[in-house]
Amino acid sequence: MGTTRTTEAQSAVGIGMRRRVLGLLGEQGFIVIFVLWGVFLAVATDSFATANNAFTILRQAAIMGILAAGEHLIVLLGTMDVSLASIVSLTGVAMAAAMVDFGLDPVLAALSVLALGAVIGQVNGLVITRLRINPIIATLGMMSILEGLAFVYTQGKTIFGPALDRIEFLSRGRVLGFLPVSVLILFGVFAVGYLVLRYTTFGAHLLAVGNNERAAWLAGIRVSTVRLRAYTIAGLLAAAGGIMQVARQGTATGGMGADFLFPVLTAVVLGGASLSGGKGKILNTLVAAVFLTTITNGMILLGVSIYAQRIVSGAILIIALSLDRLRTLRA
Amino acid sequence: MAEVPFLQLRNLSKTFPGIQALKGVSFDVLSGQVHALVGENGAGKSTMIRILAGAESPDPGGEIRLQGRSYAPGSPRDAFAASIATIFQVANLLPDRTVMHNVLLGREPVRRGVIQHHSMRRQTTEVLEKLNARHIAPDALAGSLTVAEKQVVEIAKALVGQSRFLIMDEPTAALNQMDVKALLGIVRRLSAQGVTILYVSHRLDEIFDLADTVTVLRDGEHISTRSLGDVNRDSLIEEMIGRRLSTVFPPRRVQKGDEILRVEGVSSGKCLLDISFRLHRGEILAVSGLSGSGKTELGRAVFGDLPIERGKITLRGKTLGRHPADAVRNRMSCLPEDRKVDSLLSEQSVRRNISLAALSAIASWPGVIMPARERQVAREQVEALDIKVVDLEQPVTSLSGGNQQKVTLGRCLAVNPDVFVLMEPTQGIDVGVKSEIYQFIARQAVEGKAVLLISSELPEILGLSHRVLVMRDGRIVAELDTPDTNQEEILRHALGEAGSTSIAG
Repeated sequence: MGTTRTTEAQSAVGIGMRRRVLGLLGEQGFIVIFVLWGVFLAVATDSFATANNAFTILRQAAIMGILAAGEHLIVLLGTMDVSLASIVSLTGVAMAAAMVDFGLDPVLAALSVLALGAVIGQVNGLVITRLRINPIIATLGMMSILEGLAFVYTQGKTIFGPALDRIEFLSRGRVLGFLPVSVLILFGVFAVGYLVLRYTTFGAHLLAVGNNERAAWLAGIRVSTVRLRAYTIAGLLAAAGGIMQVARQGTATGGMGADFLFPVLTAVVLGGASLSGGKGKILNTLVAAVFLTTITNGMILLGVSIYAQRIVSGAILIIALSLDRLRTLRA
Repeated sequence: MAEVPFLQLRNLSKTFPGIQALKGVSFDVLSGQVHALVGENGAGKSTMIRILAGAESPDPGGEIRLQGRSYAPGSPRDAFAASIATIFQVANLLPDRTVMHNVLLGREPVRRGVIQHHSMRRQTTEVLEKLNARHIAPDALAGSLTVAEKQVVEIAKALVGQSRFLIMDEPTAALNQMDVKALLGIVRRLSAQGVTILYVSHRLDEIFDLADTVTVLRDGEHISTRSLGDVNRDSLIEEMIGRRLSTVFPPRRVQKGDEILRVEGVSSGKCLLDISFRLHRGEILAVSGLSGSGKTELGRAVFGDLPIERGKITLRGKTLGRHPADAVRNRMSCLPEDRKVDSLLSEQSVRRNISLAALSAIASWPGVIMPARERQVAREQVEALDIKVVDLEQPVTSLSGGNQQKVTLGRCLAVNPDVFVLMEPTQGIDVGVKSEIYQFIARQAVEGKAVLLISSELPEILGLSHRVLVMRDGRIVAELDTPDTNQEEILRHALGEAGSTSIAG
């Protein structure tokens, strides 16, 4: 009897240790991998550890990161918005069409397109809160509709023209001669996101709804309004991403946003936001977005084929989800 | 008495973290009898059922013998294999499958890997005939049946499994008068066929109608097991309530002020039927009733958490909208029933858990929360309620149950309400914190606030309130002045047929 007790006690300590290690890996594991990957690339290639490449990575991370900020809000609610990438496609096409086909002023075009993104997000939110449709299914339907609309307009062709040069600065421009405009927008979005989540009633209510919707409701929080706002903001940010993607490519096609779906979700999950909602640090999502871009960047520098890169991306998503699972096991 | 009892329970105990649900319970169930098990909420009836059904293991040291052989089920499957079936209050049928698929679930007649539907239909019809329930079609979808019919299908399921022992957990709780009669008929038939039945119910009428023997549990202890011939209704009620450790209640002060809340003709589905009452400042109005009586729904309706079909709820003469946010904005606060499900933000700090409902009120334009202001709100409640915390930033889940309950109370208080709707405010907390919460409730009334106290604990209702509304089947069946009443009277109204009881007594 006595010996059994001892082994039980020992194994309890062992479990405690294991949980702590798993917990640390779950919370911060990807940052460790991030650093190791960076050191490896710095040694293995000549071009990785340069200031120039650092800005390249950040510029590449900008659009995906902005989308991830919006997705972060939705994941905090305990669900996902899979339509954000398709909002990039539709708003990108709309932006290019407004400027090239209709000769609209860039500022006016941008404002209209941002409003379009917000309206799409609002429709998502209304469908989810009023009709009570599962959010993932609702946004999946929206994704198909928006992609269809983008392709119906472009008829599979590419929109381009000299008019688009006027927004090129969003991608290639630099502030103070070194800071890329897109990176400035990326940091700006996350700074605002951080402050909103931390210091406003909307942020506090969003976290409460994601953590325990019933408790939020009984505390007098208008749960539907909070949801609606989150989807609207996510749509608005996706539209900003659409405009920046047009600026970056100098062209627009019906499928221009499709490739964002995957890395955006990966970034949020990798950043440690819990898929069950109510828990997640937005700055970790930023770090994760940069990390993912670094992986791609490194693979290009190492000469890995674009097809093989997809294998790595998939593996990272699954590993990230496993880390999420470890976190919940620990709790 | 040479015959071995069908079921022998010896020294059964069950300890959960922080509470002992059963304390060395021993009694016998004789073969072929209908054995009633009674007791108040928290007496240990459900724990007893879960142990017998294999869903819970008793503490070491106790023993169960089934027909003389040791019985220690490790899972509901084991209980099933020992021919013990449990019928719960709410039937557990697959709504999208037919009656016969449900009845023969897991026992489908199979030939060469193919399910024999013909044989299924025949077996189901046979067993339903035995239950005098020919009106239930084997091909009907289970989801289309009435509550009573579902119960019958559950019983059919147990019979097909050749159960010799049936545990029925408040089978009539959700049934109307007619269906209750039919069900009792079935129980009698089963008993005549030699099935031994453990019948758990609040309803004393049914027990006197049906049972051969009755066992009373109270606070996890076995009080008595007697033949029905030896007991009367009043002695049974007395045993169920018992004499308790009287919790220290603060002195009651009556300073009834102006009317603040008025509920007029409120109805909601079958839960609430034509409810009307008034609540005054300085008053603690208790709502009593058994589970399923509608008292929980009444609290939810007042707070805007339950849609109402008819009637009106006015606060300070103003009609309330049907949303808790409207209640909170009009300075009404609710302490929900289930802390974990209805109130705690498990991922958040003590600070945020307290400030949550007050955030909109303390934020400056346009919704900016000043951290210092929020901390101050939380600190005020921690001090007022003497919540044991190391730090406002510690996770709320690191607190004990009693302190978590105080945190949720703090959330209510932080919006500075005039009206409190408190639902089971002392559920699952220890005696020390309980009396602190009683002090708190009494203080609110003294300060001129109004309290609607919804509780299953009769001592707390008698110790705290000024008036009691007793509910049964969605209606208010009695309004009593607390100083002039007692537990027996409240329980009689809650159980029904108060008139016949007074004659018996």
